[in-house]
Formats: sequence, structure tokens, C-alpha cells
Amino acid sequence: MMALVARRLMTAIPTLLAIILASFFLMRLAPGGPFDGERPLPPETQAALQTAYGLDKPLWEQAWLYVSRLVQGDFGPSLVYRDFTVSELVAQGLPISLTLGGLAIILALLIGISAGLFAAVRAGKAADKTIMMLATVATALPTFVTGPALALLFGLWLGLLPVSGTSQGWSWLVMPVVALALPVSGAIAKLTRAGLATVLKQDHIRTARARGLPETKILFRHGLRPALVPVASYLGPAAAGLLTGAVVVETVFGLPGLGRYFVQGALNRDYPLVLGVVTLYAALIILFNLFADLIYGWLDPRMREG
Amino acid sequence: MRALFSRDHWPLWVVLVLIALALVLPAVLPWTYDQIDWDAVRAPAFSGSHIFGTDEIGRDRLARLAAGTRVTLMVAIAAALVSLIVGIAWGATAGWVGGKVDEAMMRFVDALYALPFMFIVILLMVIFGRSILLVFIGIGLVEWLTMARVVRGQVMALKQRPFILAAEAAGTPPLTIILKHVLPNIAGVALAYLMLTVPQVVMVESFLSFLGLGVQEPLTSLGILVKEGADDMDMTPLGLLLPGGLLVLLLVCLTIEGERLRDIYS
Amino acid sequence: MAIQIGGKRLVDGVNITVEAGKCTAIIGASGSGKSLSCLTPFGLTPGEAQGSVKLDGIELIEADAHQMRKARSRLTGFVFQQPLTALTPHLTIGAQLQEAADQAGPQRLSRHELAQKLERVGLSRADERLDQFPHRLSGGERQRVMIAAAIVHRPKLLIADEPTSALDASLRGEIMALLDELRAEQGLAMLLVSHDLASVEGHSDDLIVMDQGKVIESGPSADVIANPQEEYTKRLMAATPRLTEPAPVLPAVGNMLMETEAVTVMFPRPGWRRGKIEAVVDASLTVSEGEAVAIVGGSGSGKSTLGRAIAGIGPLTSGRINWQGEVLPERRARSLAMRSLIQPVFQDPVASLDPQWKVQDIVAEPLKNLRPDLLRTDRDRMVEEALDDVGLGAEYLQRVPNSLSGGQAQRVAIARAIIASPQLLVLDEATSALDPLVGASILELLAKLQQANKLSILLITHDIASARRLCHRIVVLDEGHIVEMGDMAAVIDDPKADSTKRLIAAS
Repeated sequence: MMALVARRLMTAIPTLLAIILASFFLMRLAPGGPFDGERPLPPETQAALQTAYGLDKPLWEQAWLYVSRLVQGDFGPSLVYRDFTVSELVAQGLPISLTLGGLAIILALLIGISAGLFAAVRAGKAADKTIMMLATVATALPTFVTGPALALLFGLWLGLLPVSGTSQGWSWLVMPVVALALPVSGAIAKLTRAGLATVLKQDHIRTARARGLPETKILFRHGLRPALVPVASYLGPAAAGLLTGAVVVETVFGLPGLGRYFVQGALNRDYPLVLGVVTLYAALIILFNLFADLIYGWLDPRMREG
Repeated sequence: MRALFSRDHWPLWVVLVLIALALVLPAVLPWTYDQIDWDAVRAPAFSGSHIFGTDEIGRDRLARLAAGTRVTLMVAIAAALVSLIVGIAWGATAGWVGGKVDEAMMRFVDALYALPFMFIVILLMVIFGRSILLVFIGIGLVEWLTMARVVRGQVMALKQRPFILAAEAAGTPPLTIILKHVLPNIAGVALAYLMLTVPQVVMVESFLSFLGLGVQEPLTSLGILVKEGADDMDMTPLGLLLPGGLLVLLLVCLTIEGERLRDIYS
Repeated sequence: MAIQIGGKRLVDGVNITVEAGKCTAIIGASGSGKSLSCLTPFGLTPGEAQGSVKLDGIELIEADAHQMRKARSRLTGFVFQQPLTALTPHLTIGAQLQEAADQAGPQRLSRHELAQKLERVGLSRADERLDQFPHRLSGGERQRVMIAAAIVHRPKLLIADEPTSALDASLRGEIMALLDELRAEQGLAMLLVSHDLASVEGHSDDLIVMDQGKVIESGPSADVIANPQEEYTKRLMAATPRLTEPAPVLPAVGNMLMETEAVTVMFPRPGWRRGKIEAVVDASLTVSEGEAVAIVGGSGSGKSTLGRAIAGIGPLTSGRINWQGEVLPERRARSLAMRSLIQPVFQDPVASLDPQWKVQDIVAEPLKNLRPDLLRTDRDRMVEEALDDVGLGAEYLQRVPNSLSGGQAQRVAIARAIIASPQLLVLDEATSALDPLVGASILELLAKLQQANKLSILLITHDIASARRLCHRIVVLDEGHIVEMGDMAAVIDDPKADSTKRLIAAS
């Protein structure tokens, strides 16, 4: 198990470094420098700024400087939010995004696995077909449609839940989390159902049945874990999807999360902010993939040897 | 072919009818998608010549829906075809050559899979400016990965099948083996995944457009229409519900049809 | 007893009796209903049984779910065909053995007792195994675990459904001996299901022969085998090769045709690891004109790899293949003329044919490449002739592989192999995926073709008895090395290598 983690880390760290460097060089390729204001600065000021930010050094050295600062948690200054560093913005936004994403994946797993289990037990019956149809519809629900639609229904029309911003208590979380979790829960329900359908036909289930075990025990002790292997391998892409979805949800519901800063940064060409957030997102996704690998190993001992 | 007309294929027919409407309506309607009717701002549905009413600056909703659907589907089909070609070429090469080459090529795919792609695409847009071409490149970059994995798996499995070995023993040249034995046997699966790629691309394009990072005005797409509708939903809910509903309908139908094909061929 | 699935009657009028301490074997081809008959009364198939099945006084057919579970768990133990998949992958051997022990009412076995149960079925390092997951064990070891789990709760009846047919040939004898031993020791009644008559001979007291859902013949094993009454049973007996049957008359052998010198095949290790896996090492053998040579070995012995290297459809790391003074190079370097000398036939007949192609195009494929000079009409005629040679009519020309049975598909594959008039056929387990009667008819067909066309044959198999019906000489392969080689009769009479002895014992 430790060997698997170590090997994954061996590939994760270079991947992350490659993303950071690629983003960094792309940014340097971009037309216009960060100090191109409306009025050209006097040459000596420009030179002073260049020296201050290390822009007069060779590109590789700058990249090295950027990475070494990054390791210390310094993402540089934001160009749009002039009074803040990128690190401060990230520190503000990250907890909100993580809360949203974390709750959404928990909710999606709960709904998805139980719906999939229920459908698999009722295989071929009306309940199964209905659940699978609903799951397909759910996977096709983009957050940028469900988000505003939920806001319209529960916020504007029924007045039950707040439409914008973070408020006291948890009510502000409901709609963003549901909008995020819906498509993921649909996908998980389908994967669970398909996984169980495959596993329940396998020989080891017949062995368990031949031992006279009750059906529920066969399902939970012998069937469920191998059936969840496809769900585990979907967790990585799901995390990426949730982070992307969080960008929309934070924009729609006016939440000061990482995603909203990212969109603002992107629309205003705030390079350090965008670069910082991309790096963070990459790290989060890689971390989550690692976590998914651990679950994988728990579900199927064959995977532990990698 | 006759099977296409069976009741099971209703999602395909819904999509085809929507495509036909998106192509025909702009020629028939009295309004174009960017034309402003100064006399009818936020007109309700069925008022005068505006069947679905007008938006907050007086543009005909139906004309805009048709135009948006057309752009969205065009981007989607083109990008899906790009992903098909790149995915088959990459996957088939890796699977056929095998060994260290396969290992390296698939590691590359794995690494790309782990990337926060949407963010890289957005990063590209920030740096090189927003253009529909970049939307294409960005989407194409993401979507071929699944196709490559699927095709590679199929080719690997086929390569071990005795009929490929028998063809080699029969003196069939390698290229002919690939063209006559391998590709026909992966065509079904590739078609199914092509079908499943289209809704994926629709989703990505709409997402980018929604954030203002995809298709740019004066062009319109379903994502832009949803965005406009969401901004104005407290005044005219129809502006959100129509494009949103249409988008979901398209996505659902394409997904059902694609999954059915995939289940048949794999 | 009768069995239906979805209203379709699949098994009818079957009577089976097993007494304590005795073994009843059921023999039949696939689809004969032999497994259905044994498993359906216990609710282990989708089917529904009618009639009467009495186990230790309990009527199973009318049993409710609870009684059924009791009958399954307390009174019966099961061993299935596929040891690789029959154990739950995420539970340790110890946990599964404990679960099996609990089925007849909770009995807390100590770790030491569990280990003893594993030792009893011949597993070494039993204590260590308890904490291992199934994938760490080999197929033979897993089947031993299955057997231990099937008897740990002291059932009265053991149902063994093809317990050895997925195992390597050299292991089959040991597993059957273990079952015999346990049966005697515990006074078990045993129901043994198999498609292979030879594998149950000498292990069963009573024998039941089934075909197409009906019992063809039944009685004491010795009687049925020595003196079969029904036509089907007689054909089955004749189709089952035995080492004791009289030696066949084989066609005369001509001059040396092909000779391999120190053929070695190595594969790179998967992933980025360094080093190579040696599949075949320094294999030197000869084949003469009109001669049939058997390459025999267990799974993983390298016999298929060697065959593929010779046929030019697999890698060749070093060594030489000489063909009447000429050197045949490695696969990609073979010319069309060389290709037309050697043709292969494979184990899985359906996978041997491209599912997208018609039979006509499949059989014509070698001609198109190897004889490009032929006119289309000549080619069509030759395809029809080749099909005729393998006993298939012109009505098969337009068929697709999915519509063919295993035997028909294998005939098509043979037609493709012989159409370009090769001199050597490489048959890789060409009959082992087929039912015994079909397999025997394919073997007969090959013998006929060999005589008619003066063909040489390289027969790759794990089954010495069936090889003996066709082959002049035998080459025994073990872990990539040739361990024994010689005249078929001489090797069978006096085997030298351990692996040869094991393979003979299994036949």
C-alpha cells in the first residue's frame, strides 16, 4: 500500500511541476506585460520595477524563483485586487470552495450509491428503469442551468432559500451543493448499478450463495466492494468536474470562493491570480486522485500491488 | 437501417428534429437573431410575430434559440470529429505497437487526464484572447483522451485475437490488417463514444460561453442564452427556462442514444 | 426431475442417486444439462426444478427459501470449475474459510484449526495463507482452498462441478486424488460433473451419461465403460482417447522438412522494469515430411510461444529455423513464399475468424496474398473445394462466424489453413475448446487431410492421449525447456522427466 502511494507521488510531483512551469511560460508568452498601464512609465521606473520583481533575470531563473516562492505559499501580488496578494485571496476563497466541493461529493456518493444499489436489487423492474432514467437525466444537468433554475424556483418564487452570498447558518449552501451534486450523483448511480450487475453474475457470488448466506449479506459482504471499483475510478474526474462546476456555482450564487476569483481574474487578465488558482486546482485534483487510489486499494486488494 | 425507425430511437429523432429546426427556422422567421425590435422589449410569448417573446433588448427569442443551437451543435460536432480522429490515431498506434511505446503514450494520456483541463483552457483564453478557434483547440485537447483509451483497449484485445495472427500467417500486410480487420471491428465502439463525446463538448462549450469565455457576441450559443436568461430571470423567467430546457433536452437525448450504442458494441 | 428456464424445458426425466461414501459422475457435452441438473435443485441457477429431489429426507423442490438455505449450507458443499473467480477477491482466505465453517451454525475455529484445514487439502505454509487474498494463490492452490471451504462444515453431500477442467493438466490427477481421499475419510456422498470421460474414470462408482437434457445411459461406472449399451455412449467412448488403446497406424515419414536450432523467445517485462522473461529456451526439434510431432506441456510451458515462433506469427529472439536448407527468418521478415509453407490453426474457433467477414472471404484471405496470380473465378472454385475438403457445403460461403457452431468454425479455420497448400500445419490446442465428439471428428479430419496432402503437423496440446492418435513423435516442454523428446510409444512407456509423468498421469 505504501509502495503504491510512493509510486503515485513520484508521478504526481513531476506532473504538478510540469503544470506550473507550462503555465508560467505560457504567461510570459502573453502579449503585454503586467506594468503596461494606460500611460507608459518612465524607463527608470520600469527598470526599477523589473528589478524589483526579478523580471530582468533569465527566464529559467525567474521560473525557479516563482516555484521556490510557491513552495513557501507566496503566489505574488494580484493585479486586479490591488490591495491583496494572491495568497490572501486564495486563503479567503479556498475554504468556501472546499466546503462546497466536499459537501457535494458526500451528497453525490450518498444519493448515487443508494440509488444504484436500490436499482440493482430491483433489476429489470419499473423502479430500476425509472431510477436509471432519472440518473441519465441528472448526468445531463449542467450546473449553469440547474443553478439559476433552482435560484429562480426556491429563491425568487418560493422565497425559501437565499439567492446570493453567504449568510448565517447553512441555508446558503443548500442550492449550490445540490446543483453541484446532481450530475455527479447520476453518474455514480449508473456506475454502481452497472458494477453490481456485473459482480452479482460472477462466480464468487455463487460460491457465497452456495454457503446459504442471506441475500443481504451476499450483497453487502461479497458484492458491494468489487462493484464500487468503477465508482472509485470515477472519483478523480468527478473531483475535477466539481471544481469546474464550483466556478459556475460561485458565480451564479455570488459566493466569494476560489472559482469566482478565478473568473474575475480570467476576464481581467490578472495573470498571477489565474496562475495561482490553476496551480492550486491542479494540486487539489492530483491530491484527490491519490485519495481515490487509496480507496481503490481498499476495494480491491489486487490494486494494492499497483 | 430499419432499426433506426424503431421506437427505441426516439432520442435520436428528437435531436434530428431539433437540428432541422435550427437549420430551417432562421430562413423562415421574420426576425434575425441579432435584430432589435424597438417596439417590443421583453415582450411576452405569442405577442405579434414573436412566438416566444423577446429578450431584455428586444431580440426575438425563437430566432436566437435557433441560432444558438446551430452554433453550439456545430462546435460540438466539429470538436467531436477532431477528438475521433486524434483519439483513434493515438489509441490505435499505442495499442498496435505495444510495449514501451504504448506505455509512454498512455502515461501521457494519464497525465493529461489528471490535469484540471477546463482551467488550462481558460488560462489559454486569458493569454491569447478569446476566440472560437481556441474553444475548439481547448475542447479537442480534452475530449480525445477517452477515445484514445477506449480505442487502445479495443486494439490491444483485438491484437491477441487469433484471427489477426491468422491474417499475418496468410501473408496479409500489416496496413491491410489494420484497415480490414482492426478498424472495422472497433468502428462500432468508436461510433458510440463519438456519440457520447458530442454532449460532453456541448457541455464544455456552454460552460465557457456561460462564463463569457467561449463564443463571443455578436455570435450566440446556448451557453450565452442561458447566461443572458439567468441575468434577467427575475424579470422574464422564460429567457432562462427556454434555452436551459433546450440544452438539457439535447444533452439527455444525445447521452441516452450514445449509451445505448456503447452497450451494444462493448 | 425436470428443469425449466423461462418455460423452456431444458432437462427432462433425470434420476440421480448418490449414496453416502460413494461417487456418482455425470458426463455430457456442454449444453447437455449436466450442471443444471445438479445445481438447479439448490437454487443456484436461474432455472426452476420440478419433480422430486430428496436430500437426507428433505424435499428440496417444495422447500421454502429458509429450508433451501439450510439444505445448501448444512448438508451440501460445492466446488466449482473456475478457481480463479470463485473466491471473493477482497476477503482473505481465512475470512472465507471461517465463513464457510459458520454455515452449519456458528463454530468459532481458532487460527490453528483453520490452518489445519488448509494443510489437510495439501496447502503448504497454511498459516501464512490465512491472511492472504485469493489473487496471491495459483489456480491449483485456490481450488484446494475451495475444497477446504466446501467440506469444513462436514456436509453430507459434495457437488463438484467440473472441479479440474480449468486447471493445468499436470494438476488434475492430484486434485482428483485429494477428492477421493476426503470422500473416503468423511464418508461423503459425491456428485461429480464433467465433460471429460477420461477425467472421472476410476474415480466414480456410478456413471450417468447425459445429452440434450436427457439421461442416455446410467449404471455402475465399470459396466457402462466396459460395455456401453447406447449408440451415443459408444461414440463418446470411441471419441475419448486413452493411453491404453491400441497404437494407431500412422502414415510413413519422408525426408527432413524443418529443423529448429536453439530457438529462444524472450519477452520484455511489463512496465518499465528491466530484464526479460524467458518463454522458450534453446528449443531444438525436427519435423519430417508427412510426420506429426506433438509439443506437449502444461500452461505456461512455452509450447504456444514456440509454435508461434515457428509459424512466423510470434517473436523469435535467437536461434534458427531451417526449412530444407533455407533459413526462415523472424515474423516480419518472412516472404510470401515462406508464409505459404506453414499455416496455423488455433484453440478458440470463434475468435479465429473475423466476426465482420463472411466465410467466403475468410477462407480466400491466404489466396489473395499468397497467390495473387489467380483469377477471381479460380479463387472462388478453390474456396469451395477447400470447404468441401473440411466437410462443409457451398451454403456456408455467405455465413458469418457468429452463426457457426464451434465445430463448424474450426472447420472453416482449417479450410483457410489448407487452401494455399502449406506443407506444415501448426495446430495450437485445436480441439481442446470443443466438445469431445466434435473434437474427435476434427482430429479425424486432420488425420485424413494429412494423408491426402502429405502434410506435416505440429500438434500443440496438453493432452498426451489425444496426441497419441495422430503423432509419430513427442516433445515435452516444461518452463520453456525441452525436457524430453522421442518416439511417442517409447516416451509413454518409459517417461523420464517428472513433468512427462505428471502429464501422462493426467491423461
